[in-house]
Amino acid sequence: MSICIQSYTQELVAAVRAFNGRLAAGGVSTEFCLPEHPAAGLLPKVADRRIYQEYFLARERDSVRGAYILKHQDFSFSGAIRPIAHLRLPISEGIINKAYAGLALQMLRNALRAHSSLFALGMGGFQQPLPRMLQALGWNLHEVPFYFKVNRPWRFLRHIQPLRKTPARRLAMDLVASSGIGWLGIKSLQAMRAQKSIPQFAGSVQQSEGFSAWADTLWENCQRQYSFLAVRDSATLNLLYPPGSGRFICLRFEGDDSLLGWAVVLDTRMENNKYFGNLRVGSIVDCLARTENAPQVIAAAVDLLEQRGVDLIVSNQSHHCWAAALRSAGFLRGPSNFIFAASPKLADSLRPLDPQRTRLHLNRGDGDGPIHL
Amino acid sequence: MSAIFEQVRGIAADLLGVPPDRITSQSSPEDLESWDSVQHLNITLALEQQFQLQFDPEEIDQMRTIGQIATLLEQKLARHQVWKQ
Repeated sequence: MSICIQSYTQELVAAVRAFNGRLAAGGVSTEFCLPEHPAAGLLPKVADRRIYQEYFLARERDSVRGAYILKHQDFSFSGAIRPIAHLRLPISEGIINKAYAGLALQMLRNALRAHSSLFALGMGGFQQPLPRMLQALGWNLHEVPFYFKVNRPWRFLRHIQPLRKTPARRLAMDLVASSGIGWLGIKSLQAMRAQKSIPQFAGSVQQSEGFSAWADTLWENCQRQYSFLAVRDSATLNLLYPPGSGRFICLRFEGDDSLLGWAVVLDTRMENNKYFGNLRVGSIVDCLARTENAPQVIAAAVDLLEQRGVDLIVSNQSHHCWAAALRSAGFLRGPSNFIFAASPKLADSLRPLDPQRTRLHLNRGDGDGPIHL
Repeated sequence: MSAIFEQVRGIAADLLGVPPDRITSQSSPEDLESWDSVQHLNITLALEQQFQLQFDPEEIDQMRTIGQIATLLEQKLARHQVWKQ
């Protein structure tokens, strides 16, 4: 029976529900479940909106055997605006039934035929099946660096899961935490990394309900400094970080006589998280400023999160100025499983603009958004 | 078995790490443990490189056993020869 790939329609809701059921029975994480309605949830295609999602299902007669999503969005290529698409999922029944082992490639080729300038983001690390397949298909992959800063060392050592995987390690971390050695070591290391030469932020920080004309002005002032970044005008930002969501903390940083930049942060109490345990995690999810103002924006965002009492602050940032700003604020670099993969055509577009890929602006606000933070 | 089949079998055996004589025309991911989605992609790409062609998504859908892969490849090569003439 042949498989065709088509848009998600109402008649396939029951088939999607059954597909989700088979995945769950096969032990697949619920994060790969498809929504059981054909509207694209957040970011449906509406009128002339430039950012929207489309769902594509792999249909075998009356059954769904796989799916992928394309999130269409405008990006700036050193100031030139072009539409590209983020490839989300894809998920194939081949993950639980090897009869469908070829479906992943079928969907990837289908997605590329629909839109040749694609990227994937996240994916859990280079060794996961999707990045391995994309690399084999000639996509260009590189890591988006991960940085962290511990605010409360005792809680960090008692809850950070990668350091507590065995009974011996858990005992060691508990001892280090209780003795105070952990506090001293972490604070010393972070202090050594921080640069005192970076001026303290002397402006004002306002929590903003949504984005408006000020964000558009900043966008126009900044975008050409970056070789590649998603359009971050007010209309787009209000879609990605809906005002009144209660989740996103949107911060606006004012200098003496001008807007310096903005950041979107999260303050999340984790529960049995596989990385963060029960830590309260602050995340610098997204940000924008002229690159020379990145250190002040980061410093101010970090100060706010520390004052809120988070245990740990994390951020993924690809642009070298934002990464340097994090290091200057005392952040340490950790292992990253956040991978940026560019399709061959997209990689060809980026190569002349930024051969070293140091001025791409990608963070957890891109792609799927901060779904795990 | 045709020469094409033997080439397909050889490429699959090499990538899957099994002796060629373990692979028959009925062999599929369901009966070869090392044949998963990643390896299916690798086999497909190796064939594309070997024969200088590319499979469409619809053709990939038909590639479910070694025999089907070989048959599809023979048909595709034959069409390519006709076109060149």
